[in-house]
Amino acid sequence: MSRLEEIAHRHDEASALLTEGSRVPPGAPILELKGLQKNYGYVQALKPATITFLAGEIHAIVGENGAGKSTLIKLLTGVITRTAGEVLWCGHPVALSTPNEAIARGINAVHQEVVLCPHLTVAANLFLGDEVDRYGLMRKKQMERMAQSVLDDLGFHLPAGAPLGSLTIGQQQLVATARAAMRGTQFLIFDEPTAYLTRQESAQLFKLIRRLQSEGVTIVYISHRMEEVFELADRVSVLRDGTHVGTRDIGDTNENELIALMINRSIEQIYHKEDIPIGAPILEAKGLSGPGFEDISLTVRAGEIVGLYGLIGAGRSEFALGLYGRQPLSAGEIHWMGRKVEIRNEREAMDLGIALAPESRRDQGLCLNLPIGLNINLPVFGRLSRGPVIGRAEEAANADRQIRDLAIKTPSRRVPASSMSGGNQQKIVIAKWLSHGAKLFIFDEPTVGVDVGTKAEIYRLFAKLLKEGAGIILISSYLPEVYELADRLHVFRGGRLVGSHDFHAATHEDVLGEAIGV
Amino acid sequence: MTITTTESPAAAPRRGMNILFSLTLIGLLLALWIALGIGTASFWTPLNISNLLRQGAMTAILAVGQTFVIITAGIDLSVGAIVGFSTVILAWLLQTGVPLWIAIAITLLMGVAIGAFHGFGIVRMGLPPFIITLATLTSLRGVGLLITNGSTISITNEAFTNFARADFLGIPSLFWMVILVAVPAYVFLHLSRWGRYLFAVGSNSEAARLSGVSVNRTIYMAYILSATCAAFVGVLLASRIGIGNATQAEGWELQAIASSVIGGTSLFGAVGSVHGPLIGAFILATINNGANLLNVNSFWQRIITGLLIIVIVYFDQLRRRGSR
Repeated sequence: MSRLEEIAHRHDEASALLTEGSRVPPGAPILELKGLQKNYGYVQALKPATITFLAGEIHAIVGENGAGKSTLIKLLTGVITRTAGEVLWCGHPVALSTPNEAIARGINAVHQEVVLCPHLTVAANLFLGDEVDRYGLMRKKQMERMAQSVLDDLGFHLPAGAPLGSLTIGQQQLVATARAAMRGTQFLIFDEPTAYLTRQESAQLFKLIRRLQSEGVTIVYISHRMEEVFELADRVSVLRDGTHVGTRDIGDTNENELIALMINRSIEQIYHKEDIPIGAPILEAKGLSGPGFEDISLTVRAGEIVGLYGLIGAGRSEFALGLYGRQPLSAGEIHWMGRKVEIRNEREAMDLGIALAPESRRDQGLCLNLPIGLNINLPVFGRLSRGPVIGRAEEAANADRQIRDLAIKTPSRRVPASSMSGGNQQKIVIAKWLSHGAKLFIFDEPTVGVDVGTKAEIYRLFAKLLKEGAGIILISSYLPEVYELADRLHVFRGGRLVGSHDFHAATHEDVLGEAIGV
Repeated sequence: MTITTTESPAAAPRRGMNILFSLTLIGLLLALWIALGIGTASFWTPLNISNLLRQGAMTAILAVGQTFVIITAGIDLSVGAIVGFSTVILAWLLQTGVPLWIAIAITLLMGVAIGAFHGFGIVRMGLPPFIITLATLTSLRGVGLLITNGSTISITNEAFTNFARADFLGIPSLFWMVILVAVPAYVFLHLSRWGRYLFAVGSNSEAARLSGVSVNRTIYMAYILSATCAAFVGVLLASRIGIGNATQAEGWELQAIASSVIGGTSLFGAVGSVHGPLIGAFILATINNGANLLNVNSFWQRIITGLLIIVIVYFDQLRRRGSR
């Protein structure tokens, strides 16, 4: 018996009661989702999904950002509770209402971001919450020996006594996987595990995944990377817009079919594109580099929407922040209205006429516990003040006008922004910049978590801004949005610009292919 | 195709809640005064009332300065030490023959410099506010003790030492100083854009930054104001006790923070006012005063203050949770 199995065995005894009679023969259903559904208020994050996972298979799940993959993982690991539907574990209905329940049943997840304690040693992390002790005192040496033998057994060549934080992200990922493997896991979910791994580390991880599979563990593998899916998986399920659109045996499908399934073919009629004449360049970026992006050149003209598409972490938001003076640029030139400019901070960007509605409303966009009115007026208090004192009437009038113009559904401008829905919060962020005014509007993921009606309103607003002679940079991870709205579409991958297309000049498949790097 | 989004109905206008909270505090203060008036014979005597106002005045000014810092989600632990240090600087300057007004101006400028140093430590060196102001707390006491060689410097300027004992229009001059600070503080915090920026930085500094607010400048400003208020209190204290002594005002930073928190300031930032800490300071002063009159062991005063903080902040938490 290997060290790993020995340690896992210890857990089996502990959880024997819960999983009694749950040894499922390979190939039989181990986890069945029946109409599993999750709503956040009015947003359907996961529409009723029926998926069966078979014992001992590697089951890949693919889909665009926001397709509902993370919602599914959170439901399976008990982080969130379902709105409706049924989950059968080894044929028995289960609640999966807490993370502990999921773990006790043998369901574990390895996340893209390692959620362990970087200051503790590798061994301490492996045994965290499950320390070996005698008379209440920890057996540190013994744990370290056991941890080392597990790591050696897995062929990882990692020191058990080193602090976790001293390892690379990839190595930490391997430790997280080993940790899950030690816990008598029967069902292990990998959430984009290779996002930060080198090729070599990926190969090590794949070896481990196959080994776990051979020991009877069911693997769910979530990834953007098609080649990994085809290398590893036995079956693959596709999610799109929170809907489960199909499951295929890997031998019966190909990349093109999967990409076609991932993309919404029935383009919703909410995209509102008017014929607006395109004018002179407002902004030209020439070979801009900075933290997270490299050598980006693009032009935005008056009356034009420039779409930036890519997966999360592709460098689009970083580019926007660099342009806006939030992050220092390391190379390149910015030309504004034909004149070379330096943008050293946010205020200089604003004074030029650049507005940024940032990616995260919660972290960057809004002062959530402050009134809506204060949020809307924040960039323009200078204009609303006479001497040191703010004109109370002007302040109120400006906030109320924006609330009315954008139809922000609030009883008063004094209500804190946190009490608003996602769509209305996004409108507050936009209102801020409409009252300030700008020549170039950068909208970073403006419709994430926004209901369909508000989406349509936001798109109509784009058209209005364009008609007034402004230019727009639209950053989105949702392909139909940029595809249908952008006059020119740039594709980012790994911090670089990997493709540029005029309106509808490329197919969805081409664009997604460039973003994923097929 | 418009999907109507309903908002949480409990989102009542904030201002209503703030007024309710202020009225509760004032009610508490009045209840204390009435109870003490009934319970003791000496509470409502002119001597005691002016004593009470003098006691509360200095904490009140410290609390207002402290509130600016707490609204930015920071903390200033150095204010008590600045008060003690300021008495030393002022007494020392007067001893060396510097004219009174210039000595006061230099003392206040020193407050500005200490606040700017805090801002520098937080913004440029990236130190947590708790740490940099804690460091100043201990080192300022040390510098003060070095200057005085551990003893005290007497202030012989009669006009100056009479000031703290004087009345104007029947009200102690020290209380007038509260008004002198509170009115501009109110205009600054509630009516000017700089006040709005304090709230915005305390709520979400990244959002404020991306909206063109100079976060660094705002933080400098908050700590400079707090330290300057503390230096001003140092001047008042020097006038009241007639000496310069670096060990004076021990623990006043906690009094100031307590007043601010009792007055509704949230230690998580972005919630606070000018009138709240003022009322909070006088509630604390009344409790101390009443305990003295009732011959309660002074050790109990500390315990009561602690319990009061817990009770008031707990009710405030309930109120906030209710309005979510």
